[in-house]
Amino acid sequence: MGLRTYIIRRILLTIPTLLLLLTMIFLITRVLPGDPVALHFEKKATPEQMEQMRKQLGLDKPVWAQYIDYLGGLVDINYFMEHGYPNLGKSMQTFEEVGGQIFSAFPATLELAIYSMIIASTIGILLGVASSKSYNSVPDHLIRGFGTVAYAIPIFFLGIVFQLIFGVYLHWLPTGLRINPSITPPATITGLYTIDSLLEGNIIKFFESVKALILPSLTLGIILSGIFVRLTRTNMLETLRLDFVTAARARGLKEGTVTYGYALRNAFLPILTMMGLQFAMLLGGAILTETTFSWPGLGRYIVQRINFRDYTAIQGAVVMFGLFVTGVSLVVDLLYAYFDPRIRL
Amino acid sequence: MPERVEIAIIVLVLIGIIVSSGTMYYTATVLSSTSTITSDVSTLTESVANLTSSVRDLATITGSLAQSVNASVAEIAALKARLAEIEASLAVRETLIVGTTDSVELTLDPAQAYDYFGWNILQQIGSTLVSVKPGSTTGSDFVPDLALSWNSSADLKTWDFNLRTGVKFPDGTTFSASDVKYSFDRAIALIPSIPEGAPAGLGYGDIFNRTEVLSTSKVRFHLNFAFSPFLGILSARSSNIVQQTYAPIRQVNYTAGNPRASTPVAFVGPYVLARWERVGARDVEIKLDANPNYWNLASGYPKLKHIIFKFYPDAATLRLAIEAGDVDMAFRHISPTDVLDLENNPNLRVWWGTGAFIQYLAFQEKRAPFSDRRVRMAVAAALNRTAMTETVFLGLSNPLYSIIPPGMLGHTEAFKDAGLDANYTLARDLLTQAGYNPGNPLQFDLWYESSGHYPSSADQALLYKETIEAAWPGAIQITLKSAEWASYKENRDDEIMDAYVYGWYPDYVDPDDYAFLYWATWLHTNYYNSTYNPGGYADYLQQVAWYDEARATNNVTLRAELYAKIDAIAVNQSSVIPLYVSTAWAVTKPSVYGIYLDITQDMRYWLISK
Repeated sequence: MGLRTYIIRRILLTIPTLLLLLTMIFLITRVLPGDPVALHFEKKATPEQMEQMRKQLGLDKPVWAQYIDYLGGLVDINYFMEHGYPNLGKSMQTFEEVGGQIFSAFPATLELAIYSMIIASTIGILLGVASSKSYNSVPDHLIRGFGTVAYAIPIFFLGIVFQLIFGVYLHWLPTGLRINPSITPPATITGLYTIDSLLEGNIIKFFESVKALILPSLTLGIILSGIFVRLTRTNMLETLRLDFVTAARARGLKEGTVTYGYALRNAFLPILTMMGLQFAMLLGGAILTETTFSWPGLGRYIVQRINFRDYTAIQGAVVMFGLFVTGVSLVVDLLYAYFDPRIRL
Repeated sequence: MPERVEIAIIVLVLIGIIVSSGTMYYTATVLSSTSTITSDVSTLTESVANLTSSVRDLATITGSLAQSVNASVAEIAALKARLAEIEASLAVRETLIVGTTDSVELTLDPAQAYDYFGWNILQQIGSTLVSVKPGSTTGSDFVPDLALSWNSSADLKTWDFNLRTGVKFPDGTTFSASDVKYSFDRAIALIPSIPEGAPAGLGYGDIFNRTEVLSTSKVRFHLNFAFSPFLGILSARSSNIVQQTYAPIRQVNYTAGNPRASTPVAFVGPYVLARWERVGARDVEIKLDANPNYWNLASGYPKLKHIIFKFYPDAATLRLAIEAGDVDMAFRHISPTDVLDLENNPNLRVWWGTGAFIQYLAFQEKRAPFSDRRVRMAVAAALNRTAMTETVFLGLSNPLYSIIPPGMLGHTEAFKDAGLDANYTLARDLLTQAGYNPGNPLQFDLWYESSGHYPSSADQALLYKETIEAAWPGAIQITLKSAEWASYKENRDDEIMDAYVYGWYPDYVDPDDYAFLYWATWLHTNYYNSTYNPGGYADYLQQVAWYDEARATNNVTLRAELYAKIDAIAVNQSSVIPLYVSTAWAVTKPSVYGIYLDITQDMRYWLISK
């Protein structure tokens, strides 16, 4: 099977995955207790007014008809072309377009996810390699201990510790928010403050947004780095025992070249897969991190909307998470296939 | 031949003389010229030297000049930097950064907004005809806002207001009586389409008959019935004046990137809405700028040029933000434990104030056990409010013995006076009368809200359970149950909860906005239902009659008496049991002052300085 066929097959496979996710989340939100219309109107509306609202929101239809309507909206190309995001319906509480709400919250989560992943993989891989190189020595034990602790420590706990040390006591870094409150955020181009402030040419805004990113991304990055440490170490230990490494050393290659140029490259494929998988966990962790650091992203959005039984908003946000994780998995699989032709066989 | 020789000699001599003379002359001339040249060279040399010196001097001067210029440039740069610092410092001193866990719930349209924070923002950017005096202890001392004076007819059904003149909207047009009429007509017209909005909740449709423009500066309200708390209604945020240009007869919603289009409110308050950013239906940033057209500008208000609101997800992160100095002020909600802790922080200042938020216990009367009045009274008697306020709220709330909070007209200590507080003897007697004892224990579910809608709900519920059960060990068995806000309200409407803790935040500070809670139909207690409560129905009708009578009189003594009589019946029926009234607090940096936390619960940002 050629790479192209593999890509097409892999993309097609994401469709039933997403459909399954959509169906599940659609059904789950419908069986949750709590009536969104009653919640919206508090105690003020008459039964007739509530019925009218149910009709407007399409809640008077059978569940299967609501499901069909929802799927129809998702594939509405005209809507997508007009708004720039898919038709995820209107919020049952605010009556705003859910797509618009989600796309306003998503860049914050994405920015946090990207920087956290960079930190997690950098710390994880470097420490994993160092641990494997000093196998069974004190540094190895220390690094393995770090990996276990990092993986086990609750996000909010580490976050609060960082906030206390670097925010409250040292006053070095802000305890939350995406940018210093006294600074007007950069104009939205990508929605990522670090990028937008550079595009705006405003170095102060850039530094302020970086300062705000340090603690949340470090928190999430350290938590996620635990698994990378362990995975890198295990794979590197196996790889370092292989014949080609011995051969490379026998030919007099420098140890650094052997380690990073040969062994790590070979040990990298499982790490790459794990990076893809960890994105899902990272988004889950983002919910806690966003709450700890007052980060106005998609994680906090979901929590708020759940409290209001805002079916469409919850569906939309979960779909967005699903799309993102599926997309990342797809990219990772394709990279994997590219690097390892056996996958395509 | 000798003569020829002589002549030749003479000629030669002469020639010699001539040549010599010529030579001498020439030599002298040359010498003279040489001397001149020498002199010239000397002069030239001297000139060159002078010139060189001059050039050197010039270079020196140029160098000095360059140094001076450089120094000046450096000085200018330093001055500029200092100026920027001063400007930044001034900007910081003129800006208040407020951290909060609140958010505008949905809109900044007075026809819809019905949440604390939305109302608080509306108060900064808009104005009402009257407002409550800052620092008020009763909530009934009204002061002019857009109205300079007012009076009512003797029957309290017609109210005239003389309006402030010269008040400008930001577009230069002038505020007049027609804007007042339009604002109230619009609010009432939108009630059918926004039944959850504040005008609907406050009963505008019932209260207002029509608004009449008497002149550009005089307006008259015709009411459907005599209504003494009318000024309270007019001071509520739902009575904010709107500007017709931005206030169509439909709900105005948040418009990303366009604060002016996001609210219909006329920007005639101390501030204007300069920036409003929401992400995923929750506020991320709100910036208010001083209103250059504010009618009270001459008095020095607003004190600060900018107010920036930043939003935190919970009390813990807000506490960290104020401790780290990220915000100048933390207001709503720092937890009781945290605020007591922060009182010991020398870098912060805690401001205390009166609270108007109350919580109460409601019983479901359509079935046993609480269809029996004696059982309701027994539970009311067993409650230990002081233990709860001291344990759960660490003293930062006060026991409440009337549904009307202290300080307000009509407040009594009715439940305490009747012995319905930590009175285990009475509780046992009543339970015995109702047939309950350790062999036949009273069993019921006590419900509380679990998603943070009310403060410390779980701790409260646990303490209520413990103190009530302690009244007669073995004879009372309480099962604690909880639901998050969405389900809690649904349970209330479905009438499945035996006993449930509920809360109330006033729309306007008047007993009129509290007393009705004893029989509020939306509480679903069925106290008001003659089928389920035949014994208490007459009492309910009497309470409503007194309530209406209190509404219809300006006589404060009579009103107080009527509310006291309503309380007396409430004690006897024990359908809704007052539990506690909150206190209010804000935490600021020490440099912030001008905060009034009075009974209105309003945070008036235009009075705050740094």
